[in-house]
Amino acid sequence: MNGVMGVIFASDNENKLNELTIHRTTASLPFCGRYRLIDFTLSNFVNSGITQIGIVTRSNYSSLMDHIRMGRDWDLNRKNGGLSVFPPFVLNSSREMYKGKIEAIYSIQGFIRRSPEEYVLLSNSNIAMNIDFDEVMAAHLAANADVTMLVHKAKTTTSRRLVVESDENGEVKDLYFSVTPAPEDKNLGLNVYLIKKDLLLSLVEHEYARGHVDFEKDILMKQLGSIKINAYSVKSHAAIVDDVRTYYNESMKVLDPAVREELFYGDSIIYTKVKDSVPTHYKQNACVKNSLIADGCEIDGLVENSILFRGVKVEKGAEVRNSIIMEDGKVMENSSVCYAITDKNVTVTSGRTISGYESYPVVIVKDKTV
Amino acid sequence: MKSRNKKECVAMLLAGGQGTRLGVLTHDVAKPAVPFGGKYRIIDFPLSNCINSNIDTIGVLTQYQPFELNQYIGNGQPWDLDRLSGGAYVLPPYVKGKEGEWYKGTANAIYQNINFVDRFNPEYVVVLSGDHIYKMDYDKMLAAHKQKGADCTIAVINVTIEEASRFGIMNTDGDDRIFEFEEKPKQPKSTNASMGIYVFTWSVLRQYLIDDEADPSSQNDFGKNVIPKMLADGKKLYAYRFKGYWKDVGTISSLWEANMDLLNPESGLNLNDPSWKIYARNSAEPPHFAAGSADIQNSIVSEGAMVLGSVKRSIISHSAYIGLGASVEDSVILPGATVKAGAVVHHAIVAEGAVVGEGAKIGEKQKAPVKGEWQIAVVGPGAKIAPSVKVAPAEMVKEGK
Repeated sequence: MNGVMGVIFASDNENKLNELTIHRTTASLPFCGRYRLIDFTLSNFVNSGITQIGIVTRSNYSSLMDHIRMGRDWDLNRKNGGLSVFPPFVLNSSREMYKGKIEAIYSIQGFIRRSPEEYVLLSNSNIAMNIDFDEVMAAHLAANADVTMLVHKAKTTTSRRLVVESDENGEVKDLYFSVTPAPEDKNLGLNVYLIKKDLLLSLVEHEYARGHVDFEKDILMKQLGSIKINAYSVKSHAAIVDDVRTYYNESMKVLDPAVREELFYGDSIIYTKVKDSVPTHYKQNACVKNSLIADGCEIDGLVENSILFRGVKVEKGAEVRNSIIMEDGKVMENSSVCYAITDKNVTVTSGRTISGYESYPVVIVKDKTV
Repeated sequence: MKSRNKKECVAMLLAGGQGTRLGVLTHDVAKPAVPFGGKYRIIDFPLSNCINSNIDTIGVLTQYQPFELNQYIGNGQPWDLDRLSGGAYVLPPYVKGKEGEWYKGTANAIYQNINFVDRFNPEYVVVLSGDHIYKMDYDKMLAAHKQKGADCTIAVINVTIEEASRFGIMNTDGDDRIFEFEEKPKQPKSTNASMGIYVFTWSVLRQYLIDDEADPSSQNDFGKNVIPKMLADGKKLYAYRFKGYWKDVGTISSLWEANMDLLNPESGLNLNDPSWKIYARNSAEPPHFAAGSADIQNSIVSEGAMVLGSVKRSIISHSAYIGLGASVEDSVILPGATVKAGAVVHHAIVAEGAVVGEGAKIGEKQKAPVKGEWQIAVVGPGAKIAPSVKVAPAEMVKEGK
C-alpha cells in the first residue's frame, strides 16, 4: 500500500502493567510464547506494504531496541523508508518527557512532514491482531472520511476503554471512556487511526499550542461533528493489553485454536526476532495438556493450560498450571506454579509453591529466584 | 594488485548430490535440502559450521533440483552470511563461452568455479559435502593444516573395523601423514574413515584440478582421482582426527537414525549448544500447541505443530499436525505433514506436506535393524494415504496409496 506511513507509540499504560514493564516498554512485552506485542503491529504494517515506520519511545526502550534492531526480521532494513526509532524527546519548553500522543506526534512532526507519504497510520503498540490495512484504506476512501478509527466488538471491563458509537454507515456519533464492566458487547476503540498527514499535523499543532496532550480527548472528541470520523470494525480477533489482568486474560485466550487461527493464520504472517532455538524436548515424565510451547524448552514435568516461552525448563515432578512462564524460566523439581506470570529468567527452586488466583495472577519479576 | 576482497579461506560446499538412496525424499529436492531434526535441513550443518568457524565466504555448488535449495539459502541471512564482502554464493553449472556442461564430478565442480575462488585470492580452500550431520570447527582443522605445512588435510573419524569397508579409509603413519588411500576396502588396514571434508592449499589444488581436467581418463572425482594422484606424486597429505558426532545421512535408515540420535543424550548429537548454534531459515510459525488430549514423551516438537494425539520417541517438525487418537512412535514427521485421527505411525518418515488418512497404518514396530538397516516406511512429500490403508515397513509411497 503506497502513500501510507506508520507511527507506533511504544509506551502506553506502563504504570498499569506494574512489574511487567519495569524493564521494558509495553511494545516489548513478551506475548504468546515467542513474540513481543509490537510484532503484531509491525507485521500488519509490513504485510500491508507500509514500510516507512516511526516508533516513538518514552522510557526503558533498550529492550525494544534489542528486539527490533534494524528491523531486519520484519524486512524493514530498507534503503528507502524502513524503521526510524525516536528516543524519548524532552521538550524544550516543558523540560520534561512528553505526556501524551499529541506531544509525541509534535516531537516527530519533522519526520512525518518529510516522509513522502500522504497518509499516516497511528497505532499503539499494545494491540494483538492480524489485519490487512489495504481494506482499512479502501473503507476510508469509500466513506470519504477524514479519520478512520479501528474498533472491535468487546465487553467493557475495569480497564479504560474508548467506547465508539456510530451510525449504520460507520460514521462516529459519540465517543466516551468507560471503566465499568457491562454485560453487552460495545464497539471499543483499538487506538489505531488512519488520517491524512496534513490534517494530523494541523490538528496536533493547534492543540499542542494550547497545552493539550490527549489525542482521543483533545482531538477526536473535540473534533467530532466538525471532521468526519469513521469507525472500521475489525471482525477477527483483536486484543488490547494494558494491565496485568488483560495481559493474563488475552494470553490465555490464545490457547483457543480458533483465536490462534485468526491471530496467526490471517492475512499477515506475524514476524518476530529469530533466536535460533532448538525445538522443544519432551522427556520421559513430560505431561503437557492444552498449552502453547515455544522452541528451546525442556519438559520433564506437568504443564497444563499454560504458555511456555523459549528456553523454559520444567523439571521432573514440577507442575505448571494456568501460568505464563517467560523466556529462560526454570521450574525446578517438585515445585508448583499456578496462576502466575513469571518474567524472563525467573527460577522457581525445588519444592516451592507459587499460587495466585485467576482474577489476580501473581507476577514474579525478571531475573528473580523464588 | 592487492585484492581488497582477499579471504584467507574459502569454503566450497558440494550440494549437487541427487541422493538416490533417499528415494522419494529427494525426488524433488537435492539431498542437502532434506529436512532434519524438526526445524533444520541437512545443509544447515555445514553452513552453520562455516560461520561458527569464522569462514564467511562459501560457494554452494548446486546441480540437481537446485530451486528449493537456492530459495532456502537466499542471501544467506539466516546463517549471518549476508556480507558486504563474501557471504553465501549459489553456484550452479553455467555456460562458459561456447561450452557449458554439468558438473561431471566433485573435482570438476570446483574446477568449473576456479574463477570464483580466485576472486577471493585465498590461501586455502575447504571442500565440504552437504550430506552429513555433525558439528565441527573447521578453523581447528585449518590450523592443523598450516602447522603441518600440508598440501591437503582430510578429516577422518574412527569407525569400527566392520564399518570400515563402507568408507574411504586413510592409512597413516605415526605423524598422521597419509601414505595410502583405499576406497571401501574389503580388508581394511585401519579404521580412519574419510568424512568427505578436505582442506587444500589453493595453489596446489588449483594446478591439480587443471591437470585432472586435461586427463580424459579421469572421472574428475576427489576420492577416485585427485587424492590418489596427489599421494602418488608424494604431496603432503595429512589426516585430521575428528572426535564427536558425525553421521552420513545418505540412506533412509541412517537419516532416521540421525533424527533419533537427537532424542538420546548419549548419542553425542546435542544441538542445544549456545556456543555452536545450528542456524536455519525460520518459518515464522507460532509456538506449538499440545492439546488437552495430547500425550507426548521422549520427543522433539517444533514451532507451529499441533498435537492432539500420542507421540513417543519421535520428531515432530514445524507446522505438522497429529490428530486426535493418532499414535506416532519412533517416527519422523516432517514439516507440514498431517497425521489424521486414529492413524498409527511406527518406524516411519512422513515427508513434507504428506497426509496420512484416518485410521491408516504406516510401518511396524521394530526391535532391531535387519542387516544394519531399519525397515523404515516412507510417505513421500505431498503423498496422500487414504483412510485405513496400510503401508508396509520399508515401503516407499510416492504420490498416494
